[in-house]
Formats: sequence, C-alpha cells, structure tokens
Amino acid sequence: MTALPIIIDCDPGIDDTIALLVAFVSPEFNVLGITPVCGNQPLERTMRNTLQICELGGRSDVPVYAGCFRPLLRDPIHGQFHGKTGLGNTVLPDPVKMAEEKSAVDFMIESFEAAAVNGQRITVCCLGPLTNIAVALRMKPTIAHGIERVVMMGGAYREPGNRTMTSEFNVLADPHAAHIVFSSGIPIVALALDATHQVILTPSHVTRFAAVSGRISKPLSELMAFWDRNDVRRYGSRGGPLHDPLVIAYLLAPQLFEAQKARVFVEHESELCMGQTIADWYGKSGLEPNADIIVKVNADGVIDLFLDRLSRYAQEHVQ
Amino acid sequence: MSHQRIIIDTDPGVDDAAAILLALASPELEVLGISVVGGNVPLEATVANACKIMALSNRADVPIYAGAPGPLIREQVYGKYAHIGAFSDQLVPATDIKPEAEHAVSFLIRTTRNAAEVGDPITICAIGPLTNIALALVQHPDVARGIKQIVSMGGAFTALGHRTPWAEFNIYADPHAAEIVYGSGVPLVIMPLDTTFQALLTRQHIEGIQAAAGAPGRALANLLLAFDRSDIGRFGRPGGPIHDATTIAWLLKPELFQGRKAAIGVQVTGRTAGYTYADYYGKTDRPPTSTIMHSVDEQGFIDLLFERLNVYSRSNDDLRALGG
Repeated sequence: MTALPIIIDCDPGIDDTIALLVAFVSPEFNVLGITPVCGNQPLERTMRNTLQICELGGRSDVPVYAGCFRPLLRDPIHGQFHGKTGLGNTVLPDPVKMAEEKSAVDFMIESFEAAAVNGQRITVCCLGPLTNIAVALRMKPTIAHGIERVVMMGGAYREPGNRTMTSEFNVLADPHAAHIVFSSGIPIVALALDATHQVILTPSHVTRFAAVSGRISKPLSELMAFWDRNDVRRYGSRGGPLHDPLVIAYLLAPQLFEAQKARVFVEHESELCMGQTIADWYGKSGLEPNADIIVKVNADGVIDLFLDRLSRYAQEHVQ
Repeated sequence: MSHQRIIIDTDPGVDDAAAILLALASPELEVLGISVVGGNVPLEATVANACKIMALSNRADVPIYAGAPGPLIREQVYGKYAHIGAFSDQLVPATDIKPEAEHAVSFLIRTTRNAAEVGDPITICAIGPLTNIALALVQHPDVARGIKQIVSMGGAFTALGHRTPWAEFNIYADPHAAEIVYGSGVPLVIMPLDTTFQALLTRQHIEGIQAAAGAPGRALANLLLAFDRSDIGRFGRPGGPIHDATTIAWLLKPELFQGRKAAIGVQVTGRTAGYTYADYYGKTDRPPTSTIMHSVDEQGFIDLLFERLNVYSRSNDDLRALGG
C-alpha cells in the first residue's frame, strides 16, 4: 500500500490536536508537512501548539511551516472553547522542535507544483480557516493541478452556525478565503457542522480513550475533558463535537460517511450572514456541484476507529 | 538628496513603462526589483512587457518577478487598452531577458522582512492592482514593518473614475486587495486620478521624448502615440495623462505635489465596489496614515520627466554606470 500524501493545514486547537494525534499513528498517511494558520488562536500560539503536539506524538520528523498570521480581509477572530492557550488547561513541555524557514504558502506551492509534475497529487486536510491555501491559489492558480482534493472541516448547511446564527467558525474567520477555495474547481469533501454534530465525544468516551492511549493518556484525557460543552440542549448529551478529527476519520474510513453532492457558495458580503455556506442541493444555480457534503456519519464506527488508532500510543514501538 | 530603495509593483502597461524608465534613470532610486501583476493586460503579457522595458533601459541587473495573475475575489477585468496585450516588437524591441524563478509575492516578503530586520524599511511604488502586495501583507507581520511607505497610483476622489463613474482601474481591478493594503496601517502616498489628470503630455511632448531619450524614448513615444490617452472632453485641452509616472516623480521631487493627510478605505461590495473614500476628519477608526495628493505642478513634472529621460540619449556604458 502506498501511503496517501497529505498536508495538514490547521489551527490547534483541541480538536485539531486529536486529529493530528490520530494522523501521526496512521501508516496510511505520508504527512508531508503541517501548516498552522491564524484561527482558534493567533498564529504564534497555533505554531507553538503544533510543535508541542508533534513532540507529544513522537513525530518531530514532520516539518511545520508557519502560515498566514491574519485572514485576508476580516479582523482575526479566535475560538471560544479551547482555553487561553488553545490547549485547554493542558501544559505540554516547551518545544525543542523548530519551525521550518520556508513559509506555509511557499511550501504548499512548491509541493503542489512538484505533485502536478510527478503525478502524486496531494490531499489537503483543512482543519482551520482556509487562508493559507487561498493565498497559495491566488499566487499561482496552476497549483490546483497538484491537489488531489481538499477535505475540510468547515461550514454549516442544514445545521445552523456555531459562531454566529448562520456561520461556522472556520468559514466565518476567513470567508473570502473559503470563497476562493470553493471557486477553485478543486474537488472538496466538506465535513460541516451537519456531520460533526453527529459525533459527540461524551464523558464516557473520554474514560475509554484515557484507558487505551498509553503514554499520551494524561494530556489526551485532559484535552478531551476540557472539550465538554456541557450543553445538553444543543448537543443532546454532555460532551463536545469532534469537528476536526472527522477529516482524518473520513480519509481512513470513508465507508463510515455518507455524502451528498452540491454546489457550495460562501457569503462574504452580508454582515448579517457573513461566512454562511449555502448548498445548492437541487441545481437551482445552474452550476455543477463543487463539493461532497457529508450528511451522515456512523458515530460509533468513528469512535471505535479513534480508539483503535489512539491505543497505538500504548504500544512499545510507537515512540 | 537621499538614496531610496524601492520595489516597483506594476502591470505594464504604457504609463507603467514611463514610470519604470523614469525610475531607472534616477540615481537617487535603487530599484531592488520589479514585481509584476496581472492588470492592464494578462500576467503573461505584463511580464513580457516588463522584460522589454528593462532591456530598453539596459539594466539587466534589476530582477523581474512574476506575481499573481488575477484578483483575489472579483472576476478579472483588464485595462481600457487591454488590446495592447504584449508590446509588439515593432513598438518595443524584443529581448531575451526573462523573469526570475521566485514568485513576486515571495520576493516582496523576503525583501520587506529583511528590511524590517535590518531596520531600513523600503518604499513600494504600486502602479497596478494591489494583489501582490495584499498577498504579501497577510503572510507575515514583518512585511508591513519592512515597508517605509507605499506610493500608490490608485483611486479617485473628486475626479470621477475612468473605469466606472465611481472607481479608478487599479482599485476596480482588485478592490479587496486595495482594501487590505489601504487598511494595513502602512503609510501611504496616494496618487489618485484627481492628481494624475492634471499632468498631461501633448503630442509635442511625446515627440520631444522620441527625439531626446534614445531607444527608450523612441519606444515610449511609440507606445504613447499608439495608445493615445488624450480626451479633450474630459480634460478640456489637448494631451493625455501618464498616471503611474507620478509615483516616481513624487519620490524624486515631492515638492511638485500637494496633498492632505487622511485615512483611506475601499468599498469592496455591491454596485460601487472599487470606490475609494477619504476620511479627512477622523470619522472612522482608521488612523490617518495616508497622504492623498490633490495637485501637481504640471510643468515641473514634465521638466523632471524630460530631464531624467534625457539620460537615455547617453551611451550604454553610461547607462550601466547608473546601476552602480
């Protein structure tokens, strides 16, 4: 089996952390690089968190490239459920690992150009605002030929927004960037709130993860416990939605997901509806679909997948 | 006179050619590079035109970088003279000068970050749509710190737009990029249509350039004659503007211009997208870091242009010496 070449574009973030930790122990992936961006936290913090998570996961070998420090046009907004540092109350050792000299955008452009030439197109896992890939596409639109597809966490279609009434955080944080990506012609798989609200990490799940995850058990269970929104009215139970890790789960086990094709539009003009993602399910726009929107998730299957993966941190051959 | 390090961000374009030739003929200015953007004509043609202009001036030492081909959000529009495309070999001689491999945005980031680090910020003359500069500004905070000022040909305040009644072309072509740049806090010197419409080159002026400025003068005159900008209905007298050259003229002789401090912003949505507004009275929360020029000494500008372009009548060895 050839490992799938991926770039993880992210803004850790508690749920980003879980996504990265799962990806790190999945030999199905060849993680070419991680490209943190301003999002859940300012760039300085998402960079530091990423370097720490690489070390926690024993994957200091994965290069980390600093992305854009601000959205294209809007003032930065940051996440509300990740604590002061982006990692809840969890304290990880100061990172020894350093970021690469090259910028995230230059790294993306070079990687996609090389991929377009050698035919090994790259899958981009987008777990944060889409600023990095949007900037890369505007600098050099032909890099789209080197991208297999974008699998993104972001948007809200039949589900209402989580940051505003209409809008999900990652898209609201940089709606212009999202518009650029959805207009690019690159195949997109969208894990929006419609999907992620189907997979709630409950306190009893957290207990099970703590029991299997070996040497990362303490920080992992702390992070997961911090993620509990304690909002039964909204989510139907205690716990928090596993947004970003679903991108990794989708790539590992697509059979757990059901998609519906649609043309997606991103609102970037209206102050009231800024960042809203609108799906044309029934061909009203006259335009071809540009995304596979995940509408149904086998939540138990996803939790079992993550339990299996994170239990690898209990095995000796994992650093 | 102080020595200034500049980057020219451009979409040549006829008046861009005049600006570049004026800069390269001026020993006060060290041109670190030319970053090219899609605008007046598609990127492939603006890059080819930039290479031809550089060859004319015999300054192969100044690197040219290809940048963003199109605007951030809006659909692409080209200039009024889009049919120019790449300058024909009849108008401007062919060259084998090629752009560098590095992307214009990467060059802007590298150069400005380095300037920030050494504490010697540079000037950017922005004479095309502002896409390249916007794409650089969002990538690292030191980009803004490494820019002393952006001298931007763009906008229209009292003179109404030439592309639409409310918008000047460089802003209209990428209003989102303009808003990123104008809202970045970097000090701006704005050369709007209000000012550039006041400095008109007549046919006699163009013939003067043709006669007295060597090969560059002949090519520039070819371009100015082939793509006539005179508009007697608008200007009330003969002659046409060469908008972009005013940015370089301001760097050389700021006393030729008069302006006023303001904050500036760009309308990015709706029917009037591309409209530039000036806030002279602190009505917005944007600090007044811009100087918007409202008048120019026309004769002084033309004298400066002639004085400098005359350099090109000298030998190639003399011209190379200008590169230091």
